[in-house]
Amino acid sequence: MAALIPMLRRIVGARVGQHPAAEDLVQETLARVLAAKDRIEPGMIEPYAITTVRNLVATMWRSGDREQRNRHRLHDPNEPRDIEESVVATEEQSAITEALGRLTEREREVLLAHEVSGRDTRSLADETGSTAGAVAAQLKRTRARLRVEYLLALEKVEPPTDRCRPVLLALSSADRRRQRELDAPRHLLECDLCARLSAPLLGRGPTREDEVHVPITSDPDIVAARQAARELAVRAGFSGTDLTLLATAVSEVARNIVKFATSGDVTIELLDQPQPGIRVVARDTGPGIPDVGRALEDGFSTAEGLGLGLPGARRLMDEFSIVSEQGRGTTVSMTKWFDKKG
Amino acid sequence: MSTGPALVSILRQGDTLVASIHTALDDSEMIRFQNDLVHQIGEHRARGVIIDVAALDVLDSFGSRTLRTIADMARLRGATTVIVGIQPDVAYAMVQLGMGRVGAHTALDLEEGLAYLSSMRNGRHKAAP
Repeated sequence: MAALIPMLRRIVGARVGQHPAAEDLVQETLARVLAAKDRIEPGMIEPYAITTVRNLVATMWRSGDREQRNRHRLHDPNEPRDIEESVVATEEQSAITEALGRLTEREREVLLAHEVSGRDTRSLADETGSTAGAVAAQLKRTRARLRVEYLLALEKVEPPTDRCRPVLLALSSADRRRQRELDAPRHLLECDLCARLSAPLLGRGPTREDEVHVPITSDPDIVAARQAARELAVRAGFSGTDLTLLATAVSEVARNIVKFATSGDVTIELLDQPQPGIRVVARDTGPGIPDVGRALEDGFSTAEGLGLGLPGARRLMDEFSIVSEQGRGTTVSMTKWFDKKG
Repeated sequence: MSTGPALVSILRQGDTLVASIHTALDDSEMIRFQNDLVHQIGEHRARGVIIDVAALDVLDSFGSRTLRTIADMARLRGATTVIVGIQPDVAYAMVQLGMGRVGAHTALDLEEGLAYLSSMRNGRHKAAP
């Protein structure tokens, strides 16, 4: 058997030259010949070895070719190229690992079974005696939590208040009822961290045609807010005088934000319950109003001017309420019902 | 007014300035308009000022107050101000807001405004001792 080796080396050498795999080919041929030794007639060992080695060389070239041909398929266009990108990718990866770690074991199991192993909700439901719908709902909540935990882990921060996590979760799951319960927009005004973290979460859920959100920081925003309100109201079928009253009231509350609080926002949304209308909510993080009752009297104002902002706005709208907490800010909510006669 | 179409225009017609606001102004633009106008009253020795607000869809407390300030300042500079073209909806909103009295004479449109100014001038000459 060992007598074959010089001959095989010669054959391989003639075909592949100094190829790094040359010795491998020789050894592989010997292994195959040894394995087949019992089936080979005496005296035929040499020709068998020669054929085997030729075939192996041919196979090597062929698979080399195939690899070359298909190499482009291995290229992942999403793979980061420079170091910075790969650092970011690593950070993202460790953040997602961290976030997964913060889920409960059960949540993690179900999520991975569904997303990674591709198991459908029905089979997961059967396992626990639940329904497919319930599993889907649970998955939705888990994903929402994962998003929040991921963002927190990526920034390597712990939320400063008890309200942060619930608010972020409500935003992440696009749960509008919960957002309202928690007064999420106000929290975002007050909490810088959440304001920053929530940016990628805000676009979640179906985009709403019936709501506009205008941040207010300087006087051009007052004009922007009242124009946004007007446009939304026109779409809802408001017309004529109502539009002007609404725009004027929005202008007044937005101006109060600029004048007293420097920053805040105005949210305008259409209502259809209990009847068609439009609601304007102006929130700020200003010093608050010490005496709301007096601020609503005509002629009262702590700044220069006639102080007609709030009582005037109240007269322009159908419903008006104001909540103010000293040192925390003020929220003015007002509603105008759609008057079909107008 | 750096770019885009002019937000306001101030034209001179004899000793009358006709100032038209073409679009919604924010507070700082309103203040700039006020300063420009008062400055031009002196420059052109204007006796009458007409401010045309027909293009405004909202005159809120600040807007109304600025108009009143302009009228007061113009009066101190010896000119009479007439505000023309307040839209019916805007008028209603201003009354609701409690800004019904703008502190300047008002007229329905430019023509009425000019007529008022000329009657003022003639009246004053007649009434003069």
